[in-house]
Order: sequence, then structure tokens, then C-alpha cells
Amino acid sequence: MLEKLTHILFSSRVLLPDLLFGVVFLVIVAAIAFSQKLDAERTYVLINVLIISVLISLGFVFYAFFGFYTQYLESGSVLFGKLIYLDSIGLYFKLIISIASVSVLIHVWVVGYKVVGEFYAMFVALVWGLFIMTMTTNWLMLYVSLEMVSVCSYILVVFNKGKDNSEAGIKYLLFGASSSAIMLYGISLLYGMTGSLNFVGQEFATFLGQNPSWIVQITVFMTIGGLLFKLSAVPFHSWTPDVYEATPTPIVAFLSIAPKAAVIIVLIRLFSSLNIDFRMILAVIIMASIAIGNFSALWQTNTKRMLGYSTIAHAGFMLVGLLATNTIGIQSTIFYITTYGFITLAAFLLIDLLALKTESYELESLQGLGQENIFLGLAAVIIMIALVGLPPTVGFTGKLLLFTSLWGSYQTSGSNMLLVVLIFGLLNSAISMFYYIKIPYYMIFKESKIGVRRSQIGFIRNGFLLIFLFFIIYLFFSPSGLLNLIETLKLV
Amino acid sequence: MNNFLLSALIFLPIAGSVIVLLLPSTYRDSFRWISLIVSVINLLNIFSLYNNFDQQLSNYQFVEQHEWIRMSLGNLGVLSIDYLLGVDGINMPMVLLSGIVLLIGSISSFTIEYRNKAFHSLYLLLSGSIIGCFVSLDFFLFFLFFEFMLLPMYFLIGIWGGERREYAAIKFFIYTLVGSILILIVMIGLSMSVKDTFFSQEMGRTVHTFDFRQLTDFKNYIPHSILHPIDKQMVFGISARLFAFILLIIGFGIKLPSVPFHTWLPDAHVEAPTPVSVVLAGILLKVGAYGFIRIAYGFFPDIAFQFTYIIAGAGVVSIIYGAFNALAQEDLKKMIAYSSISHMGFVLLGLASLTVEGVNGAIYQMFGHGLVSAMLFLVAGVIYDRTHNRLIENFRGLSSAMPYFTFAVAVAFFGALGLPTLPGFMGEFFTILGGFQSGILPNWVSMLAMLGIVLSAAYFLWTLQKMFFGKFWVNRNMEGNMKDLDFREIIMLYSLSALSIIFGIFPNLIFDISGQTVKAFLNVF
Repeated sequence: MLEKLTHILFSSRVLLPDLLFGVVFLVIVAAIAFSQKLDAERTYVLINVLIISVLISLGFVFYAFFGFYTQYLESGSVLFGKLIYLDSIGLYFKLIISIASVSVLIHVWVVGYKVVGEFYAMFVALVWGLFIMTMTTNWLMLYVSLEMVSVCSYILVVFNKGKDNSEAGIKYLLFGASSSAIMLYGISLLYGMTGSLNFVGQEFATFLGQNPSWIVQITVFMTIGGLLFKLSAVPFHSWTPDVYEATPTPIVAFLSIAPKAAVIIVLIRLFSSLNIDFRMILAVIIMASIAIGNFSALWQTNTKRMLGYSTIAHAGFMLVGLLATNTIGIQSTIFYITTYGFITLAAFLLIDLLALKTESYELESLQGLGQENIFLGLAAVIIMIALVGLPPTVGFTGKLLLFTSLWGSYQTSGSNMLLVVLIFGLLNSAISMFYYIKIPYYMIFKESKIGVRRSQIGFIRNGFLLIFLFFIIYLFFSPSGLLNLIETLKLV
Repeated sequence: MNNFLLSALIFLPIAGSVIVLLLPSTYRDSFRWISLIVSVINLLNIFSLYNNFDQQLSNYQFVEQHEWIRMSLGNLGVLSIDYLLGVDGINMPMVLLSGIVLLIGSISSFTIEYRNKAFHSLYLLLSGSIIGCFVSLDFFLFFLFFEFMLLPMYFLIGIWGGERREYAAIKFFIYTLVGSILILIVMIGLSMSVKDTFFSQEMGRTVHTFDFRQLTDFKNYIPHSILHPIDKQMVFGISARLFAFILLIIGFGIKLPSVPFHTWLPDAHVEAPTPVSVVLAGILLKVGAYGFIRIAYGFFPDIAFQFTYIIAGAGVVSIIYGAFNALAQEDLKKMIAYSSISHMGFVLLGLASLTVEGVNGAIYQMFGHGLVSAMLFLVAGVIYDRTHNRLIENFRGLSSAMPYFTFAVAVAFFGALGLPTLPGFMGEFFTILGGFQSGILPNWVSMLAMLGIVLSAAYFLWTLQKMFFGKFWVNRNMEGNMKDLDFREIIMLYSLSALSIIFGIFPNLIFDISGQTVKAFLNVF
């Protein structure tokens, strides 16, 4: 009894920074409850205080973790009776999520979204859920954190309370609920087969191996259904375009990277312990995601919807490294998701800045913007070719690494399926060029209509975009630092 | 100083491009001068490169090598990417050609008034990438510049082009991008199959390299790797190296362009503004041919040998098909575009012959066609500038109104159709000679190619006769516009004419440079 209590106390101390999130969440909720009757000016002050508290707590997480790093992270530490694994790879993904959340908060601030206090409460809870997801190897804990993320996302998506918004929210909720149900069903089957809830343990793998392969494959596919939903990979993708179109852009930007990063680390943990050959199903998911994402995006006229389809395609690319089933495959997946984070955050910031000028997300409305403002035109070109994966942007390095690892895997296994995925994936990036280039195309080639009023963008907004552009290009010319960092990461 | 010469060739235009971009638009008159000065300095540097080039050596000269990216691939080893530049007998003529044509292009773009800042910035960026593509000896670096030529070209065609510019620009982009993706697949495969023996021993891990010098050497291939020359790995039921070679010939065949991948070219050429057409025909098509020689033939000599018939066949089909198409065109620029397809076919024929004459002739043909096609597109540009019309039937007897122009046109047309003492003759003569001497190719292949010369004489002479001889007549509303060449046009056309005649009379200026390298190149076959 005493032993357990000391373990819990120890675990809470190590996880103190994470627990702080819970405290911040409660404080924000309480503060909002009492601030209802305040006048406008004091609400504004309150909101600023909230932003700062969220930022400070994020900062604290990292201050604390880097302090703990040498002590606990070298070999990873097991907390709360194997419910939580704290290791360096999990910490790295927390870093990605934090960068995404900070930049989304800045995005909200620079573009000037009017948000109410509850936004911050939900946002903190969402980040907290993602943090837990990066650390767990227990099915139940995973499910709880996933639901935490889902519920917060459902609320954030309908924050605008518009008509389209609620439609998208309902779609999101229904698809999310059903994929969660499928996942829960899969988990229950897996528990029945193995008698273990911990999916990285030895007994899980051993007992799983005693079942017929096809049953295990179907069960695992159902289990990762909830994760694929968050990743917006085919066949759990159909919510993506509607939600992306109707949701406020900063939230979409966040959804396009942070939950995906959390899902990717869970998949990395799962697939590195799973001893069944899951490549066939994975290859089909990858090719279907890339093809459906790219081909549907070809016909879109709304930039946010187009980027929604593009994230479906990118979900496919993210899984390519897992298909390679070698160390470099995992490393290149981590590299890809990191760099994709910069690119997608930049892309959504860009279309929001453009929408500031045009008050519309339609492609048509972009006419002539690039001629008017060369910086935005240039930024659009860089971001879009980074999404395609052309040099000299980091999008190219990411794809090169992914497909190199796939080739390496092909060379050792000789499975033609991998080569098919490689050729298919690369040729698809040529197809994706056709729709990505539309944004710079409308901005630069088309003349603007006379009489359209255009406001200036402003120094801070341009500067914020410039930071992303810097990373997109800098990491192409010198990826070694990031790669060396990724190489030091270890799974438990 | 010589150590930085090649880098200077690449980075001077790129620096110029950034300067033009950063200068405020009020300096709009200075942009064209920046572009001109940069091109002149580059050409002077290239002349000094040409002078110091040692013709007795067959290997790379002026080599610059810096370690760039080392990516650790876990248990697969290390991916080593170098900043590696150098010239030998194959790319030296191409660098010289680029210097000349880019200078002509920058003079030709003096007339661009519409958003000239963006134009010159993109033009300089394009110049840097073209030279970078020719001189890089690292596959990754080559691919980087190869892709990087696309974007400026896309914008140059898409913004300053003719009526259907947007269609032509996107078509050009997608075609070339598909080609470069195929090349990328082979690039990944090659680098994973080859190791740098020296560094691998030194580091104790497999070092995968993109170095051209390592990729040509079969000793560096990792045993049991997919593209190993002797291990005969299979992909989809065919030999893996065969598969890779097919991907490469499609990739570079699009760029060359060879029939049946040529359909982007007439659109892109017709819609592009004159300076861009000049660069496109003069240099960009040669990048495809250069890729054929350096990469497809250089890294896969065993497969290339088996493919002789197919390459020569593609060449001859391009020659004949391009020529017949040119014969049927009513639009002057479109006719020239198809003649380009036809003339690039000789490069393939010469290469496929795998004889010293054939390959030297192919390199000479690339150089000569670069000069001549630049002139041809300038000619079309001169007419279009004056009348905004390019239909052959609208002009008759121009020689009486524009004698200086007619002389330049005659040099260009005769140069293209292969009159001795002009560059077209030497290239075609040597490639066909190579075809006859080659032990593999049957003689009728080369005879068919000769038919192409006859056809090109037909359409060029016919056009010359229709447009320039006889009684002066143009469509009534254009009559006043038919002034003879101005100073700028005389400089461009006459300097190119002079160069054509010089290189036509002294083909050794190119053959001496390429000779040793080609001899060494053919040793492996």
C-alpha cells in the first residue's frame, strides 16, 4: 500500500508540469464563471491574462522537462503503474504539439479573432489530452485521452455558432463517435485475445501471435480506426473537408498538425511492438489516402476545403515511414511530421492573411493579390511548393527521407508492394502540383478586379509568417541538426 | 581564383536576382542593365573557363567539393550529399552555350516593359539554375537545379506569354514535373545501391553517395542491392536496371523532348515571350539531352547498349515526325518549335550509335542547335514585335523592305537546314556518320534520318521563299510597321550569325573539348 502511494507521489512529481494543465484549466473555467458580469474592457484584460497563463504553463512544461531530462529520460520512466511512459520520443512530440499550440495562439492574436474565454479552457484541455496521448501505452488511457481530445475538438469546431459551423460540428461528432465506437470494439477484441491492456508489453505480442493472422489484422485495423479518424486517413476521412471549410482557421491549423502528431507517436509505439505483418492494409490505406486526397482536391474552389483534402493526402505520406518498418522509417516519419507542422501552420496562416484582404476563402477572390503584395505572392509560392515537396523547401527533404527509407525496406524485403507505393506516392505529388499551384496562380497570374478594397497586412503578421518561411527553407539547406536530434530519441 | 569560378557562375545570377527583387520598383530602368551586366560577366568567366580548360584530360576539371548534408539513415547507413561542381568535355560546351544564349536572352528582354522587375529577377534565377544544372556533379544537386528551373520558367511563360499562356505554362510544368519525379525515383534507388568505398571504410558505416564519379563506377555498387549491375535483381518481372533506365529515358525524353513526349513543347514555345523561347529552345532542351548522356548512358551503360534500337528509333521518329509537322505549320513560331523537335532527334541518333563520331556529333549538334534555334526564335520575335502576327501567309517579299533582317534569317535558316560551314551541317553530318559506322544500327536508320534533312531543307526554304522573296506584300494594316532591324536586334542576330559561322567553319572548337571525354566515356560500352 505504502509502496503504491510512494509510486503515485513520485509519478505526480515527475508529471507535475502536465498536472499544471489541469489546474490552469480549472482556473480558467472558474475565472470565466465569475467574469460573466464584467464590462467589456475588463473581459479584454481577463482574456489577455488567460493567454499569458496558457503560454506560461506551456513554457513551464518545457522548463521542467528539460530539468528532468537527464534524470529520467535516458531510459524512460514508467509512471502510475504502467499507465504512463515518459520517454524522450514522447517529449519530442510534446514539443511539436506545444510549438503548434503556441503558434496557433499567436495566430489567433495576430489575425484578431474575437474569442471568448471558454476557448482557452477548451484549448488547454485539448493540449492536455494530446500530451497524455503521447505518453500512453495503455489501451484505456489511450481511449480516455483520445476522447478528451475529441470532445474538446467538437466544441472548438462549433465555436463560431454559424449555420455551416453547426453542420460541420454534427458531422464531426457523428463520425468521431462512430470511429471511437469501432475503436472501442477493436480494443475489447484485443483484450479478449491477449488479456493485456498494455500494448507494448511482451505478453501482448505473444498472445496476439497465437491468433489467426487475418483476425488480428482486422482487429488491429478496427482498433486504429479512432486514430486514423484523427489523422483523417481513408476510410475515416470524410469529415475533413466540411470541418476544415467551416471551422475558424487557427483551430483548423491546430487540428491539421497537433492531433496528427499525437496519433503518429501512438502508431509508432503500436507498430514497433506489433509482431504481425500489417503492411498490406497499411499500403492500401496510404495509397487510398493519397489518391482520394489529391484527386478530390483537384476540383476544389475554396482554399480551406482544398487544404482539407491536401491533409488527407499528407496523412497518407505520414504513414509511409511506418510502412517501411525500419528505424529510419520511424525517424523520417518524425522528421516529416515536424516539418509538415511548419508547412501546414504556415499554409493556414497564409490563407487567413489573404482572407483578411479579401474577406473570402474562395480561390477566385485571390486574383491579383500577389501582384499587389510581392511578399505574400512569394510566400504562397514557397509554402505551396513545400506542400508538393519540391526543392528548395523542407517538404522535399521530408519526402526524400520517407521514400529513401521505403526503398531501403524494399531492398531488404524485396516486396514489390513497397515499390508500388513508392512510385504511386511520388507520381501523386506531381498531380498535387496541379491544385497547390492554383493559389499562387490566382494571386500572381490573374489581374485583380477593379474596385476591390484591400487593407494592408501589417508588420507583425508578415513577420510571423516569415518565421515559418525561414524554417521551411532553412531546414532544407541544413537538416542535419534536426535529424541528429531525432536520432537520439528512444522508445521505451 | 579558379576554384570558385563555377560557383561564381551559379551564384552571381542568383545574387543579381535577389538584388533586383530587393530594389524598389522606381529603379525600373536599371533592372535590365543589372541582368545584362550579370550575363556579360558570366560569359567572360565562361570564356576564361574555356581557355583554361585542359583538352588532354578526360576527367572532371575545376572541381569544387564541399560536404553539404550528412543524413544518418539508421541501419541503412549515411546519406552523403556534397556540393560538388566540375566540368568535363560533355558539359563544357553546354556551359559555353548557356553563357552565350543567356546573354542574348537578356539583350532580347530589354523590350519587356510589363512588370520588368519580376521578369528580370526570375530570368536571373533561371540563369543561375541552368548553369548549376550543367555543372553539378552530385545527383542531388543536379536534381535540385533541375527542379528549380521549372518554377521561374512556369512564371516566365505564364505571366509574359501569349494568349494561351496559362494553359501552356501549366502543361509545361506538369509534364516536366512528372519527368523529374521519374528521375527522382531512380535517384533514390541509385543512391541506396551505391556506397562511397573510401568514406564507408573511414566511418565504419555504409555511406550512400550521389557523386556522379562514384555512380559511374560499378565497383561501388553494394552487392545484392536492387540496381547492382551483375546481381540482376528483378522488379515487376523485368530487370531492375532496365526498369530504372526506362524511367530515366521517359524523364529526360520529356525534357528533350522526344516523340511521343513532345506535346508540351509547341504550346510552351508558341506562348512564351521571345527571350524565354530563346532560352527554352537554346538551353533547356539541352538539359534533357545532357541528362541522357550523363545520367541514363553514364550510369546504365549495360542497359543503354541493349536499348540502342529504341533510342535510335525515338531519335529517327522525332526527326521525321517533327519535320512533317513543321512542314504543315502556318504559324512561323510553331514551325520553328517543331523543327526543334526534329533537330533534337539527331542528338538521340548520335548517342545511340555509341561511336566516337556519333557522340561527338551529338554534343556538337546540341551546341549548334542552341545557337541556331536561339536565332530562329529571335527571328520569329522580330516579326511578332512588329506586327503581332506570326502567320507565314501574311508576309511576302520581306527582303526588299528588311535587307539586314533577311541576311540574318538566311544564316539562321541555312544553319538549321544543314548548309556546310554552318553549325547544323556538322552536327547532322557527324551523327549520321556515327549511325552508319555503328556496328549495331542498320543503315536504313541513318538513311531515314537523312530524309529528315531533306524535309528540313524543304520547310525552311519554302518558308524563306514565301516570306522573304518575291514582291513585297503584307496585310494592309501592318504595312507601316515593317521597319528593318534596330541596333539591339542587329547586335543579337549578327553576333549569333558570326558565332554560327565561326563554330561552323571551326567545329574543332567543340570537338577538341569533347573528344577526350567522349573517348573515355565510350570505353565502358
